[in-house]
Amino acid sequence: MDQVVTTLLTTMSEQLGAMIAVLGAGIAAGFAGSGSAIGIAIADEAASGIMTEDPGKFGLALLLLALPGTQGIYGLLAAFFAILKVGLLGGAAVKVTIWQGIGIFGSLMPIAIACYYSAIAQGKASAGAILLISKRPEEIGKAVILPAMVETYAVLALLLSIILMNSIKL
Amino acid sequence: MAQAERYGYTVARLRAMGHRLLDPGVFQRMLDAEDLQGALKVLNETCYASWLVEMKSEGAFDEAIEAELRYVYREIEQFVPDKALVTLCKMPYDFHNIKVLLKSSFLQKAGGNRRWDLLTQLGNYAPEFLIESLESEDYRLLPFGLRSAIPHCLAQWEQVHDILEIERQLDDLLFTQMTALAQTLDQKGAVEWVMGRIDAENIRNLLRLRRTQVETSKVAGFLHGGGIISVERLLALLGEPLESWGRLLAYTDLTGALSGLQEVSDFDTLIVEVEKALDEYVLRVVEDARFSSTAPENVLFYLWSKEMEAKNVRIILVGKASGADRDVLRGLLRHVNG
Repeated sequence: MDQVVTTLLTTMSEQLGAMIAVLGAGIAAGFAGSGSAIGIAIADEAASGIMTEDPGKFGLALLLLALPGTQGIYGLLAAFFAILKVGLLGGAAVKVTIWQGIGIFGSLMPIAIACYYSAIAQGKASAGAILLISKRPEEIGKAVILPAMVETYAVLALLLSIILMNSIKL
Repeated sequence: MAQAERYGYTVARLRAMGHRLLDPGVFQRMLDAEDLQGALKVLNETCYASWLVEMKSEGAFDEAIEAELRYVYREIEQFVPDKALVTLCKMPYDFHNIKVLLKSSFLQKAGGNRRWDLLTQLGNYAPEFLIESLESEDYRLLPFGLRSAIPHCLAQWEQVHDILEIERQLDDLLFTQMTALAQTLDQKGAVEWVMGRIDAENIRNLLRLRRTQVETSKVAGFLHGGGIISVERLLALLGEPLESWGRLLAYTDLTGALSGLQEVSDFDTLIVEVEKALDEYVLRVVEDARFSSTAPENVLFYLWSKEMEAKNVRIILVGKASGADRDVLRGLLRHVNG
């Protein structure tokens, strides 16, 4: 019995680091994706509203609808980096200690948190911009720039997550 | 569901519907028309066209205006998350119908004719339902506190034959019911809008009563509580010259509406000017909602704008039918902003 427990604990300690990193990757992709889905839904409501009256605005609205979707892509990208780093996507096997796993998990938090909130905020900004183009379709350039400002902080979070992840030597 | 998700669609659709509101160019062209026929021709190029086709005679434009308003109310009712917002806007029409029915009943008793032609279909309840309730004296199903108010009004009529007093009581009930309904919505803007309407009605009443030089002791009864400006404060205005009303109410947003009091010397012109400014004041109460993509007050803003548009169309068409001067008509037009 003792031998079984000892084997189990040894296996766990060998794989726990990688699993913590995987947990971080899951959270990053999950939160960023959820934020994007909520953001797009908010913008979608506004787009449906104006398209009920003027279906011709679909093209313009689509451009603004797509903006909150980028955070989900950033989250997925960061998650890929993480699982690539711990060697779960092929390549040579990498041994990840618990502390290294926690480090990778921590490096994924900026992208998870910033993308979740920024996608929702961008959805609201896009909804406002969709109202703008319902009245002034010629102002589509400005209407895209306004919600795109929110994107800056999701990009910064992605940058930080990548820098932090690269700073962890395996 | 969060407010943003509930009103995102509604506000966007209302914003797009704003394109249907008549712009100043259309009003200008209607004003420039030679006669009623010319003005109707311009109106025929707008969203009113489908109703003008059904018009039985040139003079029946009121039916077309009412049909367009009814269509807009019905359309918004279908997609607005809080239907009570539409009920709130339509409630004055229900009270209008009740007043018409009561007056018709009194007229009939005195040997006159019923004026059911003055009933409107714009209320929350069909005039037929109200007629049936009143004729069968079965008030149990009547809404908005009318169940107890109507027997009271009828008893009062039997005693004093004072139609003004009955109107006053019904107006009081209307504003009480509007306030209660707005409060159930839990939307600050809706409550403020009702308060704005009460203030506008109070100022309107105050000016009319001042013109007819009604005794100060009787004026209080014609003022309704629940507005931003208290009844006591309004009563205090009676002793002051008209020019200083704007200054005395400087702490409210009404001061802009009352600025006209300083510029016009003729009382009749002044009342017309102030009425126009008060209608615009009610719109301004919820105007800030335009900057939000999720504010429920956008529903009130749009519906009041539509009401103002209908009022403008009616002013122009009535003016054209009676051959009024176009500059006079232009001065009466309300600002419509979709």
